[in-house]
Amino acid sequence: MSEIKIENVTKRFGSFTAVNNVSLTITDHEFMVLLGPSGCGKTTLLRAVAGLGMADEGRISIGGKDVTYLPPRERRISMVFQSYAIFPHMNVFDNIAFGLTMQKLPRAEIQTRVRQAAELLHIEQMLDRYPSKMSGGQRQRVAVARAIAMQSQVLLMDEPLSNLDALLRLEMRAELKRLLAELGATTIYVTHDQIEAMSMGDRIAVMRDGIIEQVNTPTTVYDYPANQFIGGFIGTPPMNFLMGQVQRRDGSVVVQLGDHSVAPKPEMASLLAGYDGKPIILGIRAESMETLASPAGDALMACVLVVEPLGSQNLLTVAFGAHRIKVSTHPSFETRADADVWLRFPADKIRWIDPEAKRTLYPK
Amino acid sequence: MTALNSTQVSAEMARLRARARRRMLLSRVFTYLVGILIAIWVLAPLWFIASMALTTPETVRSYPKSVLPFIPFSFETMRFFLQSRGIVPGVINSVLVAVITLILSTLIAAPAGYATSRYIFRGRDAFRLSILAVRAFPVVILSIPLAVTFINLGIFDQVYSLALMHTALTLPTTVLVIGSVFASIPYELEEAAQVFGCTPAQAFRRVVLPLVLPGIAAAAIFTFVMSWNEVFAATVLTVQNRTLPAQVLVSLQQSPEPYKFAGGFFMLLPSVIFIFVIRKYLFNMWGQITK
Amino acid sequence: MTDAAIALTKTKPRPRRQWAPYLLILPSLLYLAVFFAWPMTRAIRLAVWDETALLTLRQEAAAGSAAAGVLPQGAAVSLLDRRSNLAAEADLSGASLTETWFFVQGLDPGGNAVAGWAPESRIRVRTTDAAGAAIGGTVRPKLGAGADPLTSLYSEPNEGSAIAGKLEGSAAVSIGEQAVLEVWFLIEGEGEGERISGWAPSRVLQVYGDGVSGRIDRGDTGQLTRAYIQRMLNDRFFRPAFYTTLLLIVLIIPVQFALAIIMALVIQARLKFNTLFLAIFAIPLAASDLAVGILWYAIFTQSGYLNSILQALGLIAAPNAFLTADTRYWILIAIWLAEVWRATSIVMVIVVSGLQAISQEVLEAAEVFGATLWQRLRHVILPLLKPSLQVALILRTILALQVFAVVIALSGGDVVTVLANETYRQYYTLRNMNVAAAYAGFILLISMFSAIIYLRMVRSSEEASA
Repeated sequence: MSEIKIENVTKRFGSFTAVNNVSLTITDHEFMVLLGPSGCGKTTLLRAVAGLGMADEGRISIGGKDVTYLPPRERRISMVFQSYAIFPHMNVFDNIAFGLTMQKLPRAEIQTRVRQAAELLHIEQMLDRYPSKMSGGQRQRVAVARAIAMQSQVLLMDEPLSNLDALLRLEMRAELKRLLAELGATTIYVTHDQIEAMSMGDRIAVMRDGIIEQVNTPTTVYDYPANQFIGGFIGTPPMNFLMGQVQRRDGSVVVQLGDHSVAPKPEMASLLAGYDGKPIILGIRAESMETLASPAGDALMACVLVVEPLGSQNLLTVAFGAHRIKVSTHPSFETRADADVWLRFPADKIRWIDPEAKRTLYPK
Repeated sequence: MTALNSTQVSAEMARLRARARRRMLLSRVFTYLVGILIAIWVLAPLWFIASMALTTPETVRSYPKSVLPFIPFSFETMRFFLQSRGIVPGVINSVLVAVITLILSTLIAAPAGYATSRYIFRGRDAFRLSILAVRAFPVVILSIPLAVTFINLGIFDQVYSLALMHTALTLPTTVLVIGSVFASIPYELEEAAQVFGCTPAQAFRRVVLPLVLPGIAAAAIFTFVMSWNEVFAATVLTVQNRTLPAQVLVSLQQSPEPYKFAGGFFMLLPSVIFIFVIRKYLFNMWGQITK
Repeated sequence: MTDAAIALTKTKPRPRRQWAPYLLILPSLLYLAVFFAWPMTRAIRLAVWDETALLTLRQEAAAGSAAAGVLPQGAAVSLLDRRSNLAAEADLSGASLTETWFFVQGLDPGGNAVAGWAPESRIRVRTTDAAGAAIGGTVRPKLGAGADPLTSLYSEPNEGSAIAGKLEGSAAVSIGEQAVLEVWFLIEGEGEGERISGWAPSRVLQVYGDGVSGRIDRGDTGQLTRAYIQRMLNDRFFRPAFYTTLLLIVLIIPVQFALAIIMALVIQARLKFNTLFLAIFAIPLAASDLAVGILWYAIFTQSGYLNSILQALGLIAAPNAFLTADTRYWILIAIWLAEVWRATSIVMVIVVSGLQAISQEVLEAAEVFGATLWQRLRHVILPLLKPSLQVALILRTILALQVFAVVIALSGGDVVTVLANETYRQYYTLRNMNVAAAYAGFILLISMFSAIIYLRMVRSSEEASA
C-alpha cells in the first residue's frame, strides 16, 4: 500500500503563495500527472511530497504514514530530476547504486539491483562510463535507472523529459510509460507539456496559481474541461472561445453569435435559460466543427485568414465578425486565404462557460 | 473508537510537527551561532587595532587595555604615525606605485582578458594555465634579479621601476578577473549590435564597454590593493623612495607601539574598504577559474 | 554536378586563421616574458652560476692575446714578471695597480729640445692648472752609483719602446698629455693538476706584500657552482627556517581548509543575513601580511589584548611575555593564528564559488536518495569540490611559503624565522644576493614540488571532474 494523500497543503515563499491549500489523493499504483503552466506550483507541490522544502501547512502521508515533517531520506521515495542531477564525479554504476549504498545494503544485492535497473533502461553496457561523456538521453536513462533501483513504492518525476530533444522525448515517453506500468509504483509526474500529460497519466491534475483546477482522466479533462483555463490550456490548438448572448425565443433558448444563432442541447437549455439577456462564452474545439465549402442553412459564414497544412489535417484560422477561431479540417478540404467557408457547431460538442466565473456549465 | 483514534493521530502529528520544528530551529540556530562565531573571529582583531589606532598614545602604552574601543577617542596616535619620518612620502610613493601599476596592468591585461573569454584559439588553455601558474610563483625569486638589473640600468630605487615589478605580479590576476568580466557578457549582445549595423569596434564600444566598465574598475581596484599591500619587492627594490609598507617594515623593530598600531591600521583601512566594494567580482573570477 | 562543385561541397571550409586573439594576448605575454620569465632565469643563474669562477691567462701581457690556460678563482700564484700596459679607462677598477706616464718636453744635457714619455716615478709635478692636471715639473734625480744618471724619454708610454731622448736630473719639463698604464703580471699557479703560467692584469689579482706571491681575486669566466647553495645549507638559520616553514604549512593549511569549508557551508545555508556574513568573512582578503602581523602583535604583545582579557577574566595575575625568545611556541601560535585569520578568506572564496557551481538538484538528489548530511558532504560535496580545493591547496601552499612580514612583525625575524624571511635577510641585511637567490630558488623548488604532489594526489579521479 502506498497511497499518497495530500491534505490542505500550503507552501509560501515570503509573501508569495506557491501552493494554496491543495488536497489530492493518488491511489496505490496510480500514475498521476501534475500539469500546469510554469510557476503554477506543481514542482513546489512535488518537492513538498519529496520533503525538499517542507509544507507550511497541511499534511502529507504516504502509505498511511504521516511524512509531513520527515526529511526526504525517511520517506522511502525516489525521484527523477529535471536536470537529471546525475553525480558528475561517479560513473554510471555508482550513480545507480548511490541510494542503495547510502542504505548500506550488502554489496551483492547492490550489484544485482543496479544490473537489473540498467538492463531495464538498456544502459548495462555503460556502467563504467562517466556522465560527462554521455548524451542527454543516456543521462536521462541513468537518472531513471537510479530511481528504479531504489525499488521504492513511490516515484516522483519532475519534468524528466523536458531537457530532451523532440524526437528523443517521443521515444522516451512511450518507453517510460511501459516501464512505469510494469513497475506499478505510485507515481507523481510533473510536466508542463499537455501532450505528455495526456499520453501518460492515469489521471491528470491541472494546476494554476497554486490551486488544482481539475483532477480527472485525460479524456475527461480534454472533453469536459472544468473551466475556460483548462479548455484553453489543454489541446493543440486550444479550445476556441466565442462571446455570445443568450436569448429566449418562442419558449426555446438560443445563443446569438452576431447574426448567427446557435441552439444548445436540450439538457443545457434550461441551464442557459437563467442567463437570459446576458453574455455567455461558447467553447468549441477546432476539430469539433464541421467545415463546409458552400453555404448551408444552419451554417455560419466565415472568412479564411490563414491556411496551415499540417499533413494529417489542415488548420484554418477564420474570422467572422470580431471573432478569430481555429478550425481543423480534413487535409482534402480545399480552401485558400480570403475564401469563404461555412461552419456548423454540433450542439453536443459545445461547452458553455459562465463569463464571470469562467466555469464550464454542465447539467446536473 | 473513531474519535479516540483521530485524537491519537492528531496527538502523534502534533508531536512529530513539534519535533520537526525543533530540529529545524535547532539547526538554524546552530548555523547562525557558527556564522556569528566566525564573524567575531574575523572582526575582533580589526576592532582591537582600530581602537588602538584611534586613541591617545598614552592609552596605547597603558595596561591592561580596555576592550571597549576608542576611549578616549583621539587622532593623536594617527597623527604621531603620519608625522613620523618617511611616512607621508611613503604614502605618496605607495599611491603613485599603485596607480601606475593599476594603469599598466589594466591596459596590458584587458586585451588578454577579452581574448581568453571571446575567442577559442589554439593555446588558450595553455595561456590561461600559465597565467595561473605565474600567479602562483614565488614573488621573492623575482625581486632579487630585478634589483640587480635595475641597478645596472640605473633605474633602481624609482617609483616607476617598482611599478613595473608590481605590474608583473598583478598582471595574471588582472587578466583572470577581466576575463571573467567579459565572459559574463554574452557574445550574442555583440553579434546583435553588429546585425543592427555596428562595426565590430562600434559594437564593442557601444554595447560591451558600458557593460564591462564596472567589472574592469573592480579589477583595477583589486590591482591597486595588491600593489598597496606588497611589501617584499618594495623593500628590495627601493632605498630612498620607500613605499608605505616598506617604510613601516624597515623601521618596525625600532618603533614604539603607537607607531606600529597606527601603521597597521592605516595600511589595512583602504584595502579592506576597497575589497568590500568589489568582493562580488572576486567570486565571479574564482567561479570561472575552477570551472 | 560538375567535379569542381563536388570538390567544393566535400572540402570542409578551412577555419580562418585567427590572428586577433594572439595579438590581444601578445602584450601580456611579452610583459611576463620580460618581467617574469627573464628574472626567473636570472634568479636561478644567480644561485648556481659563479660569474667570476675562472681566470683566463694570456700568452702576452695584452687583453686580446691568445689564452695560455685557466686558473680557478682563489688559486695561489707566484708572480714571475711585471709589465705595464696601456689600459682602457673602463677596465680599471679600484684594485688594479696602475702607473701614470707623462708626455714631457725639456732640454737635454746638450741643450737640445727633446720630447717623449716618462713614467710618473721619474717626474716630480710642480705646477698644476686650475683643474688640477699637471702642467709642469722637474725630473727626479737618480740616486745610487752605476746607474745611468740620465732619465730616458720613450717614444711611447712603454719602457720597451724606442728612446726618444734623455734628460738630466732636476731638469725642468712641461707636461703634456698623460697616459694611465695598468700593471700586468706573469703568474704561475696550480690548475687542474698542472702548473699553468701566463699573463693577467693586476685588477683580477691580489698581490701580497712580498711582491712575488698572490692569489686570483676574481675570474673573468662564469662556471656552475654549488658554493652559494652550500652556503645557504650551512647557514645557521637555514634549518630552523626550513622546519618552521614546513611546520607552519602543516599547521595552517588543514585548519584553514576546515574553517573555509565551514564558512562556505554557513553561506550555503542561505541564512537571513547571508550577504552580511559573506562580506565579513571576505574582509581579510584585502589585508597585507605586514598589517596582519601588526594586528596580531597588538593582541600578543605584553601589554596587548590577550593579556588584558586573560587578566580581566582573572586567569592570570600579571601579563605574560608571549613574544620573546624563551617562548618560541607562543610566537609560532601567534603566526599560526595570524595566517589562519588572514588567508582563510581566499580559500573560502574559492570554495564558495565551487559550491555555487554545484547544481542544487544534484545536492537534492543526494538528499532524496537517502544521504545524511555527513554522507552528502563526504560522497557528493567534497568530491565535487575537488577541483576547487586543488587550486586552493596549491595556491595556499605556495603563498604560505612566501610569508615573511607576519613573521618579522611578530618575532622580529630572529627568534622564529621562515625561508622567505631568510631570503630577505640575505639580500637586505647581509647584502648577499647570490645566497638570497639560492633561498628564493629553494622556495621555488618546494613550491613546484608541492604543486606536483597535489596534482598527483587527485590524478586518479581526474576523469570524473572533466
